[in-house]
Formats: sequence, structure tokens, C-alpha cells
Amino acid sequence: MIEKSVEAKGICKRYKSFLGTGTTVLNNISLDIDVGEIFGLLGPNGSGKTTLISIFSTLIYPEQGSLSIMGLDARRDRGEIRKIINISTAKPNFPWSLTVRENLRHYGMLYGLYGSGLSRTVEDQIDAFELGDFRDLKFEDLSTGIKQRLSLAKSMLNHPRLLFLDEPTTGLDPDISIKIRALIRRIHEEENVAVVLSTHYMPEAEMLCDRIAFLRKGEVVALDTPQNLKNHLGLGERVVITYSGQADIGALGRLPGVLGLKSEIGRVEMVIDRSEDSVDRIVKLFQEAKILDINIKEPDLEDVFIELAR
Amino acid sequence: MNWQGELNKYLASAYKNWIISRRNIFTVFELFFWPMISLLSIGLLTRFLKVDESMVSFLLVGSIALTVLQVAQMDVAYVLLFDMWSKSIKNTFIAPVHSYHLIFGALLFGIVRGSIVFGILIVVSRYLFGFDFQRGGLLPVLIFLAGVFATAAVIGITVCISILTFGQKADVAAWSLSGLILLVSGIYYPVDVLPPVLQMFARAVPLTYFLEYYRSIFIPGPHHLATGIFLAVFYLVLGLVLFDRAIDRARRTGILLRLSE
Repeated sequence: MIEKSVEAKGICKRYKSFLGTGTTVLNNISLDIDVGEIFGLLGPNGSGKTTLISIFSTLIYPEQGSLSIMGLDARRDRGEIRKIINISTAKPNFPWSLTVRENLRHYGMLYGLYGSGLSRTVEDQIDAFELGDFRDLKFEDLSTGIKQRLSLAKSMLNHPRLLFLDEPTTGLDPDISIKIRALIRRIHEEENVAVVLSTHYMPEAEMLCDRIAFLRKGEVVALDTPQNLKNHLGLGERVVITYSGQADIGALGRLPGVLGLKSEIGRVEMVIDRSEDSVDRIVKLFQEAKILDINIKEPDLEDVFIELAR
Repeated sequence: MNWQGELNKYLASAYKNWIISRRNIFTVFELFFWPMISLLSIGLLTRFLKVDESMVSFLLVGSIALTVLQVAQMDVAYVLLFDMWSKSIKNTFIAPVHSYHLIFGALLFGIVRGSIVFGILIVVSRYLFGFDFQRGGLLPVLIFLAGVFATAAVIGITVCISILTFGQKADVAAWSLSGLILLVSGIYYPVDVLPPVLQMFARAVPLTYFLEYYRSIFIPGPHHLATGIFLAVFYLVLGLVLFDRAIDRARRTGILLRLSE
């Protein structure tokens, strides 16, 4: 029984220029991904997410390190690995003048599907990804959202056991993104597919991922569940108070548990550590004023991202 | 995987090329317009120069060979060119396919298109210029065509290797390599008239020997068909090995990703 979909140790990738100088894109990446999880790769632009997904999917090769995909050695068993994985990327591209159905048929053939099995699989994916109305439209005539759905449909043609999704909702309208996320969740749950997902969009990672690795400058700087990441980083809650009258803002900044403070006339924004009973003490300092509104927000992955990307 | 699945991996490239060609108006130019222009130009030149029947055959064989070669080699090169132009190359290379699936699938379609062009040209050349392509029987025709298609495959593979090695700008190779073949392989003249250095190149091109063989039916003379067959097989095997290496290198250098962006 395979327990890990990905086992990477010491993965390094460096792109050499024509003159021999090079850029290190990934440096000593080690991580394990469980078969049953949706794993997220987060990080700012240029942090190495796409390169890492490309290495995991055997599209490109690392310079150093060992990699095992679904228990298969990524150097020795590349052909076998490619049979059981697939990928869908941001800004998907397919041969322009092939229709949705022809594209799926073409890629199905590349995966060795044939006869009625090929036709059935193509039709199943058209149905599953609600592409029926677009089946005879050429790729160049599709909207961005439909192209993304076609890309997901293509990635399921071989019924992969491990699916790589590289920023699958980038550039999509919010309603389409919601649909795509629901499809990803369904693929994972109903088809029992392990998913490795890279994204810029924090709520998406928080919503979908069981665990997340933060990449910065080609290195993993944090790896945990979304909740643990928020807890372990000790990020405080954000408190915004709107008021009228007089409040001692200077004293607010000196209160224990107030980690940060920003103020303007009639409004103060703080980051606090609630374990210090700071909310009670803050409210007491507003006795001379009238509190019009008070808003307390837990830290989210966006805050984690900002903290880690520093 | 059974043989039908394996066969479909080959046919995938032929399927893609067929659909794209079917929807492309310029296919008409590739299959009819340019071949006819080429054949008529050479045929009318023979009329103007008042050359004898054997020389008409010599020149028309060269013209037909070059045209069929160009059509078939483009089809082999298209297997990567279409992917490169549509930036979808990574979708192909993440699938469990080998270089020979892609090349032979595309070559199959090239053989079909090349055979159609050949059929049109021999009918027209017989009707207009009295050229009897079957004078030596069907076997020499098939051997000649096999040589042309093998040379086309080698050129197509070279284009694919260039794309994976040098990136997008290398697509110019798709159109220029057949020009080199035109110069050195004796399409319109015997290779003996070439400068000695170019004669060395000519002797390294399989098409030279297949042209020599097929022409020997119309103008009796020696030929070295066995050398041509050996070179064609050697280059095909070498080409596939080098294409595999180019794919590996493109995966190491990241060109494969850059071609998809």
C-alpha cells in the first residue's frame, strides 16, 4: 500500500545561461505528500512553485536530489509515472484549431486509449466538466473559463492517481473560480485522486488544502496545515475600532498584548495577542470615547503569506 | 497495454496533423498549388530548352522528388511545430509517449499527403509532358518513394531536434533544410557537377542514391541503391536517438517549459 504520493529529498534546480552563469530556482527541497491529501504550494511570483510542480510531474528534471512519485523512482520509472499522473496548468494551451472533443480525443490517444473506450472516456469528461455545449468549438474560440475546464478534463483522461494543478484559477472570474474549486474537490473525493496544487490565491489554499508548503526564493520556509501555520507563526488577531470623542492612543500602544498599531482620526487598527486579555484593557481605554464599531478578525492565510514572504 | 493502445499512440500525431491540415486553407497550396507550379515550371523549361525525352524524365523526377520530400518533411516537423506554435508542447511530453510514437505517427500522415501529391504530379506530368513514371514497373517507384519519405523523416527529425535545442527561432529550419537537399542531392543536375566539397555532402544524403536509382530506369547507368538504403536506415536510427537526447536535454534545461509559455 503506497502511503506517499510524493517523496522528495534535496531537490535542486538551477537554470544555466548560455555563458555558463546560472540562476538557482529550487534549493534543497525536501517534502513528503500523503496519498489522501490535497497539498498546496504557495509562494510569491518566482518562488519556484511551477518549477517544483514541473519536476514532480517529470516534465523537467532536477539537477540533484531524489524523487519518488506514487512509490516509483522518478529517474528510473518515468514512463510508468507518466501513465498515472497528469497536469492542468494556468493559461492552458492546446492545438488551436482542434475542437474540445478533438483535443480530448488526441490526448486520449497519446495515453493509449482506443476504440469505444476512448470515445466513452472523452464523452465522460465532456459531461463531467460540463463541456457539452462547447464540444464542437475550436480551442481558439473558447473563453478562458472553458479552456480551464478543458484542461481539467484533459488531465482526467487517464484517470490519474496523482493530479498536478498549477494555479488552476488564475485569471478566471470569481464565479468560474468557485466552479473550478468545486470540481477539484469532487475529483479528489469521488475519483480518489491525490492533488498537488499551486496557487496565489490564499482563500483557495485555505479552502482546499490539507497541508501547505510555503516557498520563498526556491526554498520551503514553512510546511503545515493552514490552521497550524496560523497558530505557529503567532500571528495576532486584527482589531479595528471606529470611535468618536477622545481616546489615549499613546497608552494603547503601550498595552501588553498589543503587537502593532495604526491610527487615524476616529479609527484605530491593532494587531493583538488575545491571550493577554488585551481586548478588555483596550476597551477600558475607550471609556472617554464612544465606540461606534469594533471588528475582530482572526488571521488568515493572507497574513501568513505576508509574514512568510517578508 | 495492448497493441491497439500502442497503435493509437502512433496515430495520435497523424490525427492531430490531419485535423489541423483539414482546417487550414494553405493545405490546398501545399498539396496542389506549389507542386503544380514547380512541376509546370520545370516541364515548360524542358520544352523551351528542347531537351530529349530522357532529360525530361531526369528533370521531372527531380522536381517530383523535391515536392514530395517537402510535403512529407513538413508533416514530420509539424508534430512539434503545431505544439510549439500553440504553446501546448508540455501536454504532449507529460503523456507516456516516446519520440518514435510522435515521429512515425506524423510520418504516416506525411506519407499519405506525399503520396497524394505524387499521384497528382505523375498524372499531370504524363498528360502534359509524356513522362511514364512506371517504365520500370511498380517496385522501383515504391523503392524511390520509400527513399524520399525516409529522407523526409530525417529532415523532419532534424527540425524537431533544432526546436528542442534552440527554441522557437529554430522553426526556420523547417523550410530551409529542404533547400540544402535541393542544392546537394542532385535534384536538377548530376552530383558530378558539384564542387568536390559539396559532392562529399551529396554522397552523405540518402536521397542522392534513390534519385540515381530511379533515374537509371530512364537513363541507364550505375547506381548505389544499397548505400542509399543503408544511409537512410542509419540516419533514421541516429535521428531517433538524437531526438530522445534532445528531449532529455530540453527537460534538463527547461526549454520544454519555455516553449509552453
